[in-house]
Amino acid sequence: MATLGKRVRVIALGQQAAGDDAVGLAVLEWLRTRHAVSRDLLEEMELMVAPEASALVPLLETTAEVVVVDAMLDLPPGEVREFAPEDLARGGPQPMSSHGVGVGQAIALARLLAPETVSPSIRIVAVTVMRPERYEYGLSPVVAAAVPRAVERIFELLMRG
Amino acid sequence: MSDTADGKAGGQGNGNGAGTRTIQVDYLARVEGEGRLKIRLQGDRATEVQLAIFEPPRFFEAFLRGRSFREAPDITSRICGICPVAYLTSACNAMEDALGIRVEGALGALRRLLYCGEWIESHALHVFLLHAPDFLGYPDALTMARDHGEWVQRGLRMKKAGNAIVGLLGGRAVHPVNVRVGGFYRAPTRPELETLLPELRWGREAAAASLEWMARFSFPRLERDYEFVALRHPDEYAICEGRLVSSAGLDIDVRDYDGHFEESQVPYSNALHSRVRGRGAYLCGPLARFNLNFDQLWPESQARARAAGLDVPCKNPFQALLVRLVEIFQAFSESIQIIEGYAPPAVPFVDAPVRAATGYGGSEAPRGFLYHRYAIDESGTILDARIVPPTSQNQLSIEADLAALAPELAALPLAEATARAEQAVRNHDPCISCATHFLQLAIERE
Repeated sequence: MATLGKRVRVIALGQQAAGDDAVGLAVLEWLRTRHAVSRDLLEEMELMVAPEASALVPLLETTAEVVVVDAMLDLPPGEVREFAPEDLARGGPQPMSSHGVGVGQAIALARLLAPETVSPSIRIVAVTVMRPERYEYGLSPVVAAAVPRAVERIFELLMRG
Repeated sequence: MSDTADGKAGGQGNGNGAGTRTIQVDYLARVEGEGRLKIRLQGDRATEVQLAIFEPPRFFEAFLRGRSFREAPDITSRICGICPVAYLTSACNAMEDALGIRVEGALGALRRLLYCGEWIESHALHVFLLHAPDFLGYPDALTMARDHGEWVQRGLRMKKAGNAIVGLLGGRAVHPVNVRVGGFYRAPTRPELETLLPELRWGREAAAASLEWMARFSFPRLERDYEFVALRHPDEYAICEGRLVSSAGLDIDVRDYDGHFEESQVPYSNALHSRVRGRGAYLCGPLARFNLNFDQLWPESQARARAAGLDVPCKNPFQALLVRLVEIFQAFSESIQIIEGYAPPAVPFVDAPVRAATGYGGSEAPRGFLYHRYAIDESGTILDARIVPPTSQNQLSIEADLAALAPELAALPLAEATARAEQAVRNHDPCISCATHFLQLAIERE
């Protein structure tokens, strides 16, 4: 893949010191450093980090397509899943890694408050993880193995348009 | 992180006969993390209140042992996405204590400015997106924004202004990388800081207007006789440093924290509960700071607090919403003053020879006192670490709040009682990610 031919913003959520919760950050790091991603491709991508979901709100104001990458509590760990923002609405998967404002809510809030400037395309790629039980750096092997698959999924959905 | 299993808020009752009742909520929204709050009511009396927080064992010693003392601020700041500056500062304070370093003058002012940024962004998030919906009867910020979008916008813009301070001084807004033991890797120029001023001036006025608006909210009646605990500084509203004082007469050096406070485990929670030795529960955070340090607020902050109906003593935990706005106003005001009076320091950090020592540090995180202690050897390698976050310190007081609220909870319909209990927990903005990761709520009446 040479280029995508469009601007893309990839935003990772997660805490570096909370074990597998950092998988979104690891996906971002993979995009930033791996040779599989060409320099031209990388130039089309803005890679950003949101420390908690409410911080997404201003970051979603862009004309670029947006992909949010996050960890998700579910079994088995290490699966890559894809959601539309509507999937995260009330009753769906609920974000837990923010101070009570979840990913779905943050996206809905951005769309409500800044309908003219929010990205027209927002999607979520999540990697399932088990509940982090201690503060630690580094991913578990099964979640680390999912990182390249999450990267592939991001490119797949971007190519689908 | 997202959760497919527990992600719902709601109540369920079992038994609603005379004098006995059970309420249960499976997931408490608008606080960080997961835990479980269980309230058992008999008549209008709480027979049992348990805030069960699922806290990962604090393996900070294992987490940090063998690392360089220089790494502690950066490593611990990644525990929480909301208050990294608090972790950075408490860790730096502790290491500087170990090495005999004093950070003062322009460097001290920059550290305070950085912390003001964190107070603004953290308080604005909590006030506008997490707590205000409770007072207006909305289930969440999104629903509130449909009717009060302008205020939510203001809150988010204030938060952004706080983030901008952290981003400029810290090198980036997410996890600051420009902070080091003894100061900063690079000190900003005055023109760089001055770019922040227009938004800070706007934010100061927006905070004042928000305080006037929220002062008109209806605040549940609850007065609690807390022992307030906070840092106190001789010259300023304590944020970065000070002596640890309490409303019961405690006045100690932070180095003596371990001698006056203790933590214990309870069977229903794996989080530790803090107590003042020989006395019991205490409260840290905005309400404690306001009560203990009101005289250190700037006169205009004091006047705006009084105009909003606040005075000392302020013992109603629901009014912490207003106190946070006073602190936002103070933080904006101080940020402007620091920048307007800024002259870059001669060197960006103070250094000192490494030595074997134990260092103690504390600072006022948005939610309250954050304590760090480290032992390092002669090469600066960490041998031992201890961190006590504010949410752990406030757990017992949150439970006591709910017990005190029992008569009201007993009289309210199930859904309203549940909402009121959740609101009461949110009074203290528990940052469970510092103490744990997930929270659930259950109330039982029998």
